[in-house]
Amino acid sequence: MSQISRRQAMAVLGALGFGATAAACAGPGGSTTPGGATGPAAPATGDITGRVSFAHWRGEDKAVFDELIKRFAAKYSGVEVVQDISTSNDYNAQGLQKVRGAAIGDAFATFRGAQFNNFSEAGIYTELKNSKAVGNYQKGLLTAGQSGDSQLGLPYQVVFPMPMANTDLFDKAGAELTPKDWDAFLGMCEKLAASGVVPISWPGGDVGNGGQLFNCMIANNAPVDDMCSQIEQGKLKCTDDWFIKMLNQYKDLVPYLQPNATGTAVEPAQNLFSQGKAAMLATGSYHIAAVRNLGATFPIELVFPNTSTDGNAKFEGVYNATFILGVNSASKNQAASAAWIDFLSEPENAGYYANETAQHVSVKDVEYTNADLKRLSPWLDKKTALAARFQFQNLDVRNAVEASATAVISGSSPEQAAEAAQKIVDERL
Amino acid sequence: MSTHTGMAAKRKAPENTTQAASKKRRSPTRVNPALYLFPLPAVAIIAFFLVMPTLQAFQYAITDWNGFSAAFNYVGVDNFVRAFTKDSLFTNALTNNLKFVLLVVIAQTVFSLLLALLLTKNSRGNVVLRALFFFPTILSSVSVAFIWKFIYDPNFGLANSALGAIGLEGLQGSYLGNNSQALYWVAVTQVWFHAGQMMVVYIAGLQAIPRELYEAAEMDGANKWQQFKSITWPFVAPATSIVVAYTTVQSFKAFDLILGIAGNPPKGSLDILSTRIYSTFANSEFGYAAAQSIIFMGMIALVTWLQRRLLRLTPKGE
Repeated sequence: MSQISRRQAMAVLGALGFGATAAACAGPGGSTTPGGATGPAAPATGDITGRVSFAHWRGEDKAVFDELIKRFAAKYSGVEVVQDISTSNDYNAQGLQKVRGAAIGDAFATFRGAQFNNFSEAGIYTELKNSKAVGNYQKGLLTAGQSGDSQLGLPYQVVFPMPMANTDLFDKAGAELTPKDWDAFLGMCEKLAASGVVPISWPGGDVGNGGQLFNCMIANNAPVDDMCSQIEQGKLKCTDDWFIKMLNQYKDLVPYLQPNATGTAVEPAQNLFSQGKAAMLATGSYHIAAVRNLGATFPIELVFPNTSTDGNAKFEGVYNATFILGVNSASKNQAASAAWIDFLSEPENAGYYANETAQHVSVKDVEYTNADLKRLSPWLDKKTALAARFQFQNLDVRNAVEASATAVISGSSPEQAAEAAQKIVDERL
Repeated sequence: MSTHTGMAAKRKAPENTTQAASKKRRSPTRVNPALYLFPLPAVAIIAFFLVMPTLQAFQYAITDWNGFSAAFNYVGVDNFVRAFTKDSLFTNALTNNLKFVLLVVIAQTVFSLLLALLLTKNSRGNVVLRALFFFPTILSSVSVAFIWKFIYDPNFGLANSALGAIGLEGLQGSYLGNNSQALYWVAVTQVWFHAGQMMVVYIAGLQAIPRELYEAAEMDGANKWQQFKSITWPFVAPATSIVVAYTTVQSFKAFDLILGIAGNPPKGSLDILSTRIYSTFANSEFGYAAAQSIIFMGMIALVTWLQRRLLRLTPKGE
């Protein structure tokens, strides 16, 4: 074996180091799209077989999806679907990075709003406009999965991010369930408080769940329906009168929230409601299954905190179409992935998912047999606003704007809280 | 001396006799190339997982890359300027982080030293107590965060329940929900979590002190404080350097604890640099997040260097 000098060895190592440096300095976008997301062409066709990774964040639905996977595998022999489940926070933060190379997530779900837009811009979705699945959905609910003329994703769930109500406690207190204006809503809270329960359990210490109340509070206050987009673009401001009015209405809620609400995490808030200590849980219908699991047996309804001051409210409630299903453009098994999405979108299977998870779905002709869903189904036909907080594209802006409401509950003046939020919005413009 | 010289002469002898052959075979500057293969795996791993990402971070920091798009622009030092002049969330996180580090370093150093002083003797009771104080260290930070999150819960939490049980309802509070207090309560958790580990470092230092010194001091009439000042402290001072440096770096990076206890994203009063960087990445501002990471890295390096300069605590005589 020939020998080399230390100098030669150092030169070799130096060359390796230089190569590494040069590789490191390659364009950021260039080398980081393994698998090569190719944009919104229709999913490839072929045999429905092989392995499909289904990436999502709903760990609580795992057993239901497991059953659906069994049924899917029985329909197509040789196909295997595995669930890659993250927590919702992780999925929000890292979903794009995880799914982009299709190492996981041949089929995947996204949140509505910023995450859906990021996935769309990254070219991770395939076009589902002409798919078998899309025809099964209620047309009006598909918009959250559209980008321009393309139907990139299929919003699977319909949730109502409005306070859930324990109707037994409402009956006992003689409080009405459908207040027509803000004074009526406060009157309702007053009656509930007088009956010895906490009127509203609100998880102010949990940004994701505490923020849902914002959808209700802003819907009838804002001058336009795309108010959050306009705040983010600088066309509307948190220091505008209508926003300050909304923050003052948040202040009105303070006596009716549980003590120290801004430090309450979501689980204790759910417990207050499940144990019958609080009449409302200000999160949304997506928590029905959770509170049932905590032992709640009372009838549950939804209540809209109607902020209208003259009784002429534009909206009767708020809804969100989310859990947007898509097929990964970088997937090596698009045929089976698309078939899995088609399968989930069949009314029978969507119905199974809905009834087992207590979530409404946006698929047509689904028969709801779950008692809670049956009771809440009339909300599907009411004049409801699409949940506004998901219009925000910038999470810092969204958090800052929602934090202004929390700050008011903590004791800040609405004007101070609004200014603090607007400062961050201005910095992000 | 003569032996040494003789050996040197022996070593030199072959060079004089078979100079050329020996040079080829035994030159200190020529080695078997196969030897260079041994460090290669380590070099490759370090280059791939440490050097390359660091270099990439520097490159991303001067771009406006969003983390997934092929399109990006080089923006020079704009991201660094933005962090300090146009981003109140970053400066808020920086302030919180410095406050948190200061709080934890002081509290943890004092508390762990006190624990060590109280439990340094090897009695059976002390061994049990040491184990108890050390116990939190073996838990994962996420578990610790969740345990304390529920201790602090204003409705079902242990803290308020305990206060209520002893008739101190007036002291019950929101803890994490109170913007002016939240950081202090998380600092309490951090100290609880790591004080046991630091206590062990101090105990090791204390047990190395010769007992004769205390006996002599007692004979000279020195009281406990004088003994601590003149004997104990000089001996445990080097341990303090370690404790302070370790605690500082740990407090700067209390990401998992803060995220676990305060949720994601943590509210403004609990947002520290590492959580802010995470939020910025999640907000698809990859270039800006990389710039923040570099600032963060620089700050830790600077603080560590300052500590080394200012805290050269060594036993007397060294």
